[in-house]
Amino acid sequence: MTAAVAGPFGALRQQLTDAAVAFADSPDALAGILAGLVDDVDRALAVPLEIFPVCHHSPASALAMLRRLRAKQPRVIYLELCEDLQPLLGELRNCRLPVAVQAFAAELDGHPAEWGPLSVVAPITESSAEYQAIAYALETPGVELVLVDRSTDHVFQWLPRDRPEPTRPGGGEVDAGEDGGRPGDEGALHGDAVGVEIGDLRPGFAELEAYLLHHGKVRHWSEWWDQYVEQPLADADHDTYRQVMVLIGSLFRRLRPARSARLDRDEDRERYMWTRMREHLAASGVDPADCLYVCGAFHAASHVEQFGLAADAPAYEISPRTGTRWHYGLIPSSHSAIEAQFGLAPGSVSIAAATWTKALTRAGLTGYRLDGQRGSRTRAKGRRAVAGAVPGTGVTDRLSGFLAAPPEPGGLDEAELRGWCVDIVRLARRNGYLASTADAIAVFETAILLAGLRNRARPTPYDFADAAVTCIEKDVVPGRRDVRRLCEILLGGDRVGQVGYDALPPLARDVLDRLRPLGLDLEKRTVQRALLDLDADPRLAPCSDLLWMLRYLLPPDAVRPIMGERRLGHRSIQESWDLALGRNQRALIELGYEGVTVEQVLEQRLRRAVRGPEATASGALAAVEEAIRLLDSPRLVDELGARAVELLAAERTVDDAPEVLRRIRRLLAHYRATAPALPAWCAGFVTAGYAHYCTLLPTAVVDEQTGVRQVGAMLGFLFSMESLALSLGCDRTQLELAVAQSHPEAPAKVALLWAARHQLGLLPLAELRARCADLLANRLVVPTFPQYLSGFVQALEPVPGLAPFVVELMSTAFGQLPDPILLPWLPTLITTLREHGPELVPLLIREAGRTFPGGLATLDAWVPPWAAPAAAPTPAGPVARAGPVVRLLVDHPEAVDAVAGLLGCPGEWRRADAPAHAEVAALLSQHPEATEAVAGLLAAGTG
Amino acid sequence: MSEMLRAPAEVKYADELDYLESVDTDPKPFSWRLSPRMVRLFVLGSERADGLDREIPQKWFGDRTFVERSIVTLASDRGLLLIGDPGTGKSWLAELLAAAICRNSTLVVQGTAGTTEDHIKYSWNVSMVIARGQSRESMIPSPIMTAMEQGVIGRFEELTRSTSDVQDALISILSEKYVSIPELNDDNIVFARPGFSVIATANSRDRGVNDLSSALKRRFNFVRIPVVTNKRSEAEIVRFRTEELLRRHRIELEVPPTLLDILLQSFADLRTAAAAATSDDEKLESALSTAEQIGVLEDAILHSQFFGDRMLRAETLAGSLMGSLARRSPEDLAILNKYLHGVVEPRAKQDGGGWEGFLDGGRQAIAALS
Repeated sequence: MTAAVAGPFGALRQQLTDAAVAFADSPDALAGILAGLVDDVDRALAVPLEIFPVCHHSPASALAMLRRLRAKQPRVIYLELCEDLQPLLGELRNCRLPVAVQAFAAELDGHPAEWGPLSVVAPITESSAEYQAIAYALETPGVELVLVDRSTDHVFQWLPRDRPEPTRPGGGEVDAGEDGGRPGDEGALHGDAVGVEIGDLRPGFAELEAYLLHHGKVRHWSEWWDQYVEQPLADADHDTYRQVMVLIGSLFRRLRPARSARLDRDEDRERYMWTRMREHLAASGVDPADCLYVCGAFHAASHVEQFGLAADAPAYEISPRTGTRWHYGLIPSSHSAIEAQFGLAPGSVSIAAATWTKALTRAGLTGYRLDGQRGSRTRAKGRRAVAGAVPGTGVTDRLSGFLAAPPEPGGLDEAELRGWCVDIVRLARRNGYLASTADAIAVFETAILLAGLRNRARPTPYDFADAAVTCIEKDVVPGRRDVRRLCEILLGGDRVGQVGYDALPPLARDVLDRLRPLGLDLEKRTVQRALLDLDADPRLAPCSDLLWMLRYLLPPDAVRPIMGERRLGHRSIQESWDLALGRNQRALIELGYEGVTVEQVLEQRLRRAVRGPEATASGALAAVEEAIRLLDSPRLVDELGARAVELLAAERTVDDAPEVLRRIRRLLAHYRATAPALPAWCAGFVTAGYAHYCTLLPTAVVDEQTGVRQVGAMLGFLFSMESLALSLGCDRTQLELAVAQSHPEAPAKVALLWAARHQLGLLPLAELRARCADLLANRLVVPTFPQYLSGFVQALEPVPGLAPFVVELMSTAFGQLPDPILLPWLPTLITTLREHGPELVPLLIREAGRTFPGGLATLDAWVPPWAAPAAAPTPAGPVARAGPVVRLLVDHPEAVDAVAGLLGCPGEWRRADAPAHAEVAALLSQHPEATEAVAGLLAAGTG
Repeated sequence: MSEMLRAPAEVKYADELDYLESVDTDPKPFSWRLSPRMVRLFVLGSERADGLDREIPQKWFGDRTFVERSIVTLASDRGLLLIGDPGTGKSWLAELLAAAICRNSTLVVQGTAGTTEDHIKYSWNVSMVIARGQSRESMIPSPIMTAMEQGVIGRFEELTRSTSDVQDALISILSEKYVSIPELNDDNIVFARPGFSVIATANSRDRGVNDLSSALKRRFNFVRIPVVTNKRSEAEIVRFRTEELLRRHRIELEVPPTLLDILLQSFADLRTAAAAATSDDEKLESALSTAEQIGVLEDAILHSQFFGDRMLRAETLAGSLMGSLARRSPEDLAILNKYLHGVVEPRAKQDGGGWEGFLDGGRQAIAALS
């Protein structure tokens, strides 16, 4: 035996090398890999600081960890988790697991701005080795927990900068939702955060994974792991567990593409972790034998120079963090969210949780648990270790035995399987399946047969699910859930975590406190209906205010008004809300990273909306509206309004003109109704807008990029705000000049300008009518006539008085154009109207309704108002020629003369001798009785 | 074997089955000729890791779990109902399973609108009844009854095509496992021997025609076979079946890989279009299954062999594809025309190669059909 095969693993190494020679075409390469695996195990075990390899969401790891902690009672635990997350771990006791530790940064400094906001989550479940380590360390006096992995800032620092976005950066992360992602609320609990977790262990490339799945005769990686690692290791002793895990870590490490970016990053992380541990050991002077380093099995087989505690290792320089300010908190997580984020099989985390509970019961152990931790189980805190620390013993080869031994019968025991079969049938019946006891028997039998076919001594939960699908699923799914989903529910179901009140950020606590008068338990995950009768109970008014702010800040389904609204100047006296704050805890918590109260966050958001590089005048006006509606802070409104004026003056396009017009009109109406005087910013906005749009009008009408809607809105602003602008010191000449300088070419804009000139009194209606008649008469122009018409329709906004003319124009067009031109033109007309004037068409229809006859009977006699002969000029008013009133006025003309003098029209009195209407006079003279009776009545009245 | 146009699986793969039987040491349920593991191996093919002396080729292409679930169902008390779109390989899987389990895949009842209870149970040889009276000798057992007597697998093709009362004749067979013959005074019950089970197939497109009763559904385990959409698997299936066909016709003709790609791609395109269609008029009547691809290719090969220059060309393939898929006029023709001009034409311009010929052939075929 040579030196290479010496040591505890010499025999195994020799055996593997011989196997490589016997079976491989090129034995050197294979021998290198196989012997390398053993070398890695040998090397990891030789480090004086005990390395404890784990895999994520592995009950076997958690159980081994629990046993080891009890036996060894380490004084220091080094954990592979971002070091800056450490202060949060104590807060876990206030939460119901699973929750995720989160680092969040909205304002980036040193990272590409387009990556923001950055979010990193590390989900923690009860059945994980890391939770056992954390609970042990935090609950045992004198034990220190040190997180040694790179900070969250480094997660992004180490990303290649040329990547478009950091979807799955860092180590320990995998692509989410390959096939495990389930749509739904619970699956999306982490949002688009980047996931980090301890002990990620997966084949390094797709082909290897596919190979393992194919030959393992399983469908998913989680199933493979469960069958080939999890179950055999479930009851393994510490040495076996450790050696096997390092071996697997080494296998996946060696079988992966060389020089991949991911491997480089992993190696940097290992350098980082070992450097941090060395620093801590040097600073604290703790004996490495009293420490435990908990890391992914992958990192236990590391080859970096810093690995181990040898003194001659080169120093690794840790780069400083960027200036990005990180916020930390806990957010709720769920089994399905973890499965979706890390690409695990649906239900695998739930199965792991169930396996963990079962393993604890079987082994008669109690897991470590943080004091005050809420959860499904009500057990007391972890039993304190009583055994003394065990001295480290020499390394013996446990691998040979493990690798050579046949698989232990694991999986389900018969009683458990029977229970599941009965339960799945009951669950299926509740979900509409016609399942019976016979199905339970069939599922039982099929599960056992399937396990036999798949080389398993006993059925696994995956076999059970397949059997249930085979026996119960028929041609259609009767309800919402199919049998596979029911199996997932049965095998533990999705568990959703919750962050307790004490672990919430101040803002979230404040929100819950302020909503307490509603009398609802808002931490529940159900949607709750809140009824607010603000008239009867004015104490609820602050709750209503807060709810409206939350409505603005949170996702739409978090708080949803069912009844009641809040507009400018309008508040409902009764409101009803659907509140789902418990389900949207993450959004509320992330809001807490932005400030300490909702008002502060809202103010910041509104300010940011008007100060950002993308800010526009219409956006600023929207912010002003929100500020009035939600905050009622004149100071902020003035500030935002002033910014709106600045933005408007600086704008070089008029794209937002319709929006600006709509919003400023609404705000002006609000101020007119509620305030004695317009605020300064509002006056400023009107004068600035008047000048701004006058200036831009000549360019806008010729600019091809500017639509007719925008020009219409500009003119709408100029005409409808004119009186106000003039009263504030603007000059009308500016507008007249602007109109005179405008020389549009597009037909629609030409029509708009004609309307504007008409409004200014520069183009009488008769001339406008004549121009349009010319257009209709000219067949070369007719195809573009709809464009003119759409211009006129847009002109209804600035010149509402033009509506009868537009109706006339359209009627004329329909009447005069011959069918060959009219019919192809109609679709163009409709599309033009639909595209350019959706909100003005109703106005047009109303006017048409007024103009055209309402009934069929009147249609024959109907003459269009514009076609009717011009009526003879009528006298100023009916002239009463006789009677007591006339007599009174003739007798006492002074009062009327005085009024006329005051009004400045010195009228002359006219004699009523010459009757204007001969027929009336004749009628009255022939039948004077009625008139005389009226006169008598009037006389009696005055008398 | 050489006398048969199409040999059943147990005859065709007799060597393999003999070999597997000889090396099978695992326990076998009932009177099965092979253990469940070997049945799976026969259907899905062997790998090096199985440690066999000879290679067993894969015969059915699809998810392994479907086969496993089917096998364990047959080993249990229930019948197996393979359900899926036409052309997904249900009958082929049923035949392979029956051949592997009992070396007899020919005990088949074909479900049609004219199937009667006699086809499932038994009927009488009228002349013998007149001559000798009713006896077991004058009785004609159905394939299902024969399967019961022999303890083997009986097959029922297109179960949902037969009427409900006929279907329900299976209920007692599947639950009591015997058929009584009231016409006889003694020896009037035929008991099923161990190993008897039924593999039925049903077309999911026939749903609603003759739905199974709940009682019958309970006695079957359903295994739904989806349309193969994985391109690699589909290529495997087409290649496998085409080779078989060429062998059967003794045709020396090579299918160029590019043409196989074109065929697979065109079906994939048409399936995507069908999935996106909002009404039946916008999707082809065809299920676009793998079997139809094989049919298209078979058609093209035979055409090339007998009417062409013994070389498979893209034009011929296109003609065969259009001819097979254009079942309704004008709906299917319009969809194919749209496909030709919207998808194939740009691709022919961009990639050239076989797509140009495919486009020409398609145009000619549509012109001829219109």
